[in-house]
Amino acid sequence: MTVRQLYDKVGGDYENTLARFLTEERMVRFALKFPADQSYALLKNSLESGDMKEAFRGAHTLKGVCQNLGFTALYEPAHRVTEDLRAGNQVKEEDLRELEERYKELLDALRAFGESNA
Amino acid sequence: MAPNVYSEKKRILIADDSPINREILMDILGNGFDYVEAFDGVEATEILENENEEISLVLLDINMPRADGFEVLEAMNKNRWIDDTPVIIISAAQDVDFAERAYNLGVTDYISRPFDVHIVRRRVQNTLMLYEKQRRLLGLVGEQVREVQKTASMMINILSHIVEFQNEESGPHIQHIRVITELFLKALGQIYPEYKFTQEDINLIGTASALHDIGKITIPTSILNKPGRLTPEEFAVMKTHSAAGAAMLDALPLYKDEPLVKLGYQICRWHHERYDGRGYPDGLKGDDIPIAAQVVSLADVYDALTSERAYKKAFSHEKAIEMIKNGECGTFNPRLIYMLDSVADELYSRLNGAPENELDDDMRKLTAEILQKNDITYTGRTAAILEKERKKYTFFTSVSSDVMFELSYKPYILTFLNDAHKRIGAKHTLVSDPLDSDELIQCCGKDKLQDIATLLAKSTPGNPIIAYEGEINIDGGKHLCKLVAQSLWTDSSKPEMTGAIGKIFIIE
Repeated sequence: MTVRQLYDKVGGDYENTLARFLTEERMVRFALKFPADQSYALLKNSLESGDMKEAFRGAHTLKGVCQNLGFTALYEPAHRVTEDLRAGNQVKEEDLRELEERYKELLDALRAFGESNA
Repeated sequence: MAPNVYSEKKRILIADDSPINREILMDILGNGFDYVEAFDGVEATEILENENEEISLVLLDINMPRADGFEVLEAMNKNRWIDDTPVIIISAAQDVDFAERAYNLGVTDYISRPFDVHIVRRRVQNTLMLYEKQRRLLGLVGEQVREVQKTASMMINILSHIVEFQNEESGPHIQHIRVITELFLKALGQIYPEYKFTQEDINLIGTASALHDIGKITIPTSILNKPGRLTPEEFAVMKTHSAAGAAMLDALPLYKDEPLVKLGYQICRWHHERYDGRGYPDGLKGDDIPIAAQVVSLADVYDALTSERAYKKAFSHEKAIEMIKNGECGTFNPRLIYMLDSVADELYSRLNGAPENELDDDMRKLTAEILQKNDITYTGRTAAILEKERKKYTFFTSVSSDVMFELSYKPYILTFLNDAHKRIGAKHTLVSDPLDSDELIQCCGKDKLQDIATLLAKSTPGNPIIAYEGEINIDGGKHLCKLVAQSLWTDSSKPEMTGAIGKIFIIE
C-alpha cells in the first residue's frame, strides 16, 4: 500500500500534508505513532466518568493531532465534539458515533499499512 | 568579544500535552537544538524555574492539564523570565481569540496547527535571531558602561594622586577611600532604607570621594609634610584645604552643575565637619552636613588611623574601630557608628583581599539601572547570562595554552588575548596592519602571513574555518605550529567578512 492509498482510504489529505511535511518519510513516521496517542482514550474515559474539562482536553488534543497528520475525516467529528465541549454543550450522539467509526477505520488502515510495509 | 565560539546548542522547551505534537516539532526543527519537553503547565513552569537561563525559546501549547499555557505565561511575567526568554504559542488557527490574550502576555509569535515545516522553522529562527540581537546589544551597552566608568575613575584617580604625591602620602589612600565609602554607603542604605541610595548614587559618591583632599595642592609642602606636630598657625593654614578644594570645583566653568562636581564640592568642603558642630570650615551640625561628606569623613578617619603617616604609626583595624567608637577622632552620626559596627569585618577583608567579584556585581547593578532609566529591560537574569558568558570566555582564554587572537578588518587590527602576544615576541596585544607588522614578519615570515590572509579571504560564511601549518618563532624558538581560524560575517543578505577569531598551537 502506498502512502497516498493509505490517506485516500482513511479520508486524509495527502497533498496538503505532504506539502507541509516536505517528505513522505516524515508523514509515515508520525502517522504510525498515531495508534499510541492517548487523547482518544482520554476523551472516551472522561465522558464516561463525567469529567467534562478533561474530555475537552482529550478532544482538543485529538483534533490537533489529526490536523497535524492530515487525518481530515477524523478531524471533522473531533472538531465538532471539541467545540460543543468548549461551549459547555451536550455532545451529540451522532458526532460521537462518527468519531468512533472513523477512529476504528483509521487504526485498522494504519495497522494494515504498517504490516504491508513491514 | 566573541563568547559565542564556546556556546553549545540552543535549548528549546516544548510544552505540549501531546507526545506526537512534541515529536513532530522536534523532528521539524532538527538536531541543531537541544530539547526539553514538558507535558503540562506545571512541569513547564518547574523547568523554567530551574533552568530558565539555559532555555533560549519556549514553544507553548495553550490547552494542557494541571496548568494551561496562560498560567505558564503569567508565571513567566511574574518572574520576568519573559523579558529574556521568547515564547511562541502553538494553537489551532481557529483559536484566534486566544492570540490577543497571549500577545498581551508577551508572546513573540504564533505557530498554528497544522504544522508546516517551513513556517515552523522560519518562526523559530526569526525569534531566536531577534533575541540574540537584543542580547548582543545589551552586552555592548554593558561593556560601554564598564569602559566609560573605568576611564572616568582613572582620570579622577590620576589627578587626585598628583595632589597626594605632593603630600607624600600617595599609596593606596585614594583607592581605599573609594572602596570604604562605597562599602559604607551600601551598608547604610541597607540598614536605613530611607537614604534610598541607588547604585548610581553610590558610584558617583565613590568617584567624587577621590577629590576630597584636592585643596591640599594650595598648602605649602613645608606644612603638609612636616613630621612633627603643627603649630596653631600652621594648623590654621592646613585647615583651609577643605574650603580651597571646594572653591576649585566651584570655579569650574563647565561642570559646576554636574552631580559629580556637586558631590565633590560637598565632600571637599565638609569632610572635616563634625556631627556636634565643632568641625571646620562652617561648623555645620548634624544632618546639615551632607551625607556624602559625613561618609567620606568617616572613611578618611579610618584610613588615616590604619595608615602610617609622617607623624604617626599605623593602628590595627580593631584599634581604629575602637578609637572611632570611643569618640577619640571626632563625633559622628550615631547611624554611621552603628553601620560601622555591622560592616567592620567586611571592611577589613575588603581592604585586605581581592574585591574583584563585588565590583563586577556593582557594575552589573549600575548597567541595569541605566538601562531601566532608558526603558530597556535588563533584568538580573540577562545580566547574569552576559556575566556568565564573559566569565566563561575569560576562563577559557586564561586556561588555554594556545595563542588566541581576534582579527578585525575595519580597522585592520589583530588582537592577542590573554597576553599571548608575548609568546610570539610582540610588544603589544594590539597589532595594527598585521600584514606589514615587523613583529609578525619576524615571527613567521611575510609569505606565511600572506598565505594565511589568502586562506581567510577565500573562506565563506558557509565554510568559515581555515587551518594552516608552518614553522614559526614562538616561546623563543622555532616550532611547527598549527593555526585554526574562523572568519566572521555580517548577518545581512550580502554577508561581508568583518574579521576572524582563531588560535595557534604547537604540534610537535
